[in-house]
Amino acid sequence: MLSQKPGVPVSYDKVQKSFGAVRVLEELNLQVQPGEFLVLLGASGSGKTTALRILSGLETATEGRVRIGGRDVTDVLPKYRDISMVFQSYALYPHKTVGENIGFPLKVRKVNPAERDVAVREAAAQVQLDSLLHRYPRELSGGQKQRVALARAIIRRPSVFLMDEPLSNLDAKLRGHMRAELKYMQHSLGITTIYVTHDQVEAMTLAHRVAILEKGILQQLDTPAKIYNDPANLFVAQFIGSPPMNIVKGSLENGVFICKDAKVPSPVKGKVDNAVLGVRPEDCSITSAAKGALKGTVYTTELIGDHTLVTLKIGADFLTVKAAKDYTARVGETVGVTFSKDHLYVFDASDGKRIR
Amino acid sequence: MSTALYKLDKANRTVLERLFEQPAVGKMSPVAKVFVYSVLVFWSIFVIFPIYWVVITAFKDASAVNEGPYYLPFVDFQPNLDAWRTLLTADPFCDGYAILRQFGLLVHNSLAFLVSPLVHVDRMEPQICRVYLAFTNSLVIGVASTVLCVTIGSMAAYALARIAYKPKFGNIVMFVVLSLLVIVATSYARVPWYVTSAVALALFFLLARVFGKRFTSTLGNNDILFWIISQRILPPIVVIIPIYMMFQAVSLLDTHLGLIIIYAVANLPIVVWLMHDFFAGLPIELEESAQLDGATRFGIFWDIVLPLTRPGLAATTLLTLILNWNEYLFAVFLTTSKALTMPIMVAAKNSGEKGILWWEMCAVIAVMIVPVILAAIVLQRFIARGVLLGAVKG
Repeated sequence: MLSQKPGVPVSYDKVQKSFGAVRVLEELNLQVQPGEFLVLLGASGSGKTTALRILSGLETATEGRVRIGGRDVTDVLPKYRDISMVFQSYALYPHKTVGENIGFPLKVRKVNPAERDVAVREAAAQVQLDSLLHRYPRELSGGQKQRVALARAIIRRPSVFLMDEPLSNLDAKLRGHMRAELKYMQHSLGITTIYVTHDQVEAMTLAHRVAILEKGILQQLDTPAKIYNDPANLFVAQFIGSPPMNIVKGSLENGVFICKDAKVPSPVKGKVDNAVLGVRPEDCSITSAAKGALKGTVYTTELIGDHTLVTLKIGADFLTVKAAKDYTARVGETVGVTFSKDHLYVFDASDGKRIR
Repeated sequence: MSTALYKLDKANRTVLERLFEQPAVGKMSPVAKVFVYSVLVFWSIFVIFPIYWVVITAFKDASAVNEGPYYLPFVDFQPNLDAWRTLLTADPFCDGYAILRQFGLLVHNSLAFLVSPLVHVDRMEPQICRVYLAFTNSLVIGVASTVLCVTIGSMAAYALARIAYKPKFGNIVMFVVLSLLVIVATSYARVPWYVTSAVALALFFLLARVFGKRFTSTLGNNDILFWIISQRILPPIVVIIPIYMMFQAVSLLDTHLGLIIIYAVANLPIVVWLMHDFFAGLPIELEESAQLDGATRFGIFWDIVLPLTRPGLAATTLLTLILNWNEYLFAVFLTTSKALTMPIMVAAKNSGEKGILWWEMCAVIAVMIVPVILAAIVLQRFIARGVLLGAVKG
């Protein structure tokens, strides 16, 4: 069993990054707790990888400071930051064996061979690679390569783990398995981990807290449950959840949301001319055309397994409802949709902010 | 039935279609096969025949050459070793010891040159026969300048592939102006060269420090690369006279060291250009990963980058070696007797009064071809592809 090392805090203090005239990261303020598993979630171009690379030292911040364990490391070389990183491509050294790959961080730190060998075996055992130490990366499967990269990252017990989409190159089944292993490993080592991904499932399942980035701006930083149940804005609401949250455009007047051919009682008061009503597919249910708050025609039904996704056409918009697995309907049939007032979200269409 | 389906059956295709169409994806049609192999055979004859001719001529005597053309040994003419005898036994010093002494001479004379500003050491005089001399010279000069050139060139190429340089245009102009001033001061005002150089260098750093920030227009890595390759665009014949004068001034004429330096300089642009492409093609994550693991920049270069570019390195080394081995122009200008190389030996067999001694010339050429073939065989093993396999893909 690997020994625990007390986790260290990490903080971004007003960090900005521009490449020439392009601003990829706007004033990022972020405090990561000791031993926390923090996921930076965002689409490509959101600035999540840049934020990670600034922490690693492979990229320098244009403005602002980065701290690891309370020390300012903004101008410190990567190798002195006591971090290790797992790359999406694994970045294994193809001309070195698995053992040499794992032992490389100790070799360059001039650890003596005997000690190194013990550490390599221990790290390899941690990721079930003990029998493959003499193989070359080209002789390994994707999952095994991923484990080598992990073992190389854990061998010197860094203060912080950085992971840049480490599971993206694996097939779906293996990804689920490695996700569980990664979570357990992080838990047992207690090392502060920053994990970058575009996959919301990875973010929701792995993270203690998720930081959602878009266009270089931090949208929301919270636990997965809070992010899902209480999105701060329209972007977060639509980004998290599969299938995504349904959106209906309209206006808000005195606690009633008015769209083209329906009026829906809203959870919030106030008057907003351009408002957006959001409701998750699992919070909707299908009923007869007469009873529904909204009316639409069935566009498709998809049996997923434990449920059926029903897509309705309402005017020019589409609305997805998660129905029971035995639900059937003809295409073109007119049906109604109901939802409880408590599960509705209202946003300001102009800036996407949640109206509470 | 549609035409397309009808043609699915081989028997339904016309003779011309069967001749000109590929039988399967990735294969050649019968006509293409015949054409391609005819061209290859024809070309092979062009390439191989001169070598055959060289080898048989090396075993002819004067009469067999002059009565010729004879092509078949033992049929057309009787092979003999006359040419080889003249070549190898014309000198009493030809033995193993003499060859060893020749290497000792190189080391001694190189060191003597390096310490010459401080102490005077007498140079060793070569005393073995000319073919041995030329062969060892060619070997030593070729290998040493290749090692020097590939070492410096690949490091420069790596730096250009991975570090973004932004030399200020103003600084470059300043450097050129100061260099010109050094030349003027040294040659007209008779100030010793080390004084002017030191003063100019100090002045350059001072000025660059003070005014450097004011210059705004900068050049990039591609400009530097182009500047480097542009030196190879210039034909060497253009610079041979100035180089001759320079070598005369620092007594590098007819020395191994002189040729080693000039060959390394001449081939540096090619090495930088070729290796730059290989380095730029490496996935940068490997180096970033090593950087985070704690490796130094030189450590990364030595332990990660070089092993991964081994095929490119081997190909570049082979090319440089061959260019050095065959070089004639610099050798003919810069050597007289002590540092002469094989190409000079070959050319020397065309002596004015006796005409061309074809048989001796061919013997020298035969000797000259062998090391190149050996080097190609050795290095070819490294040029095999697939070193990067498994580096970054899942």
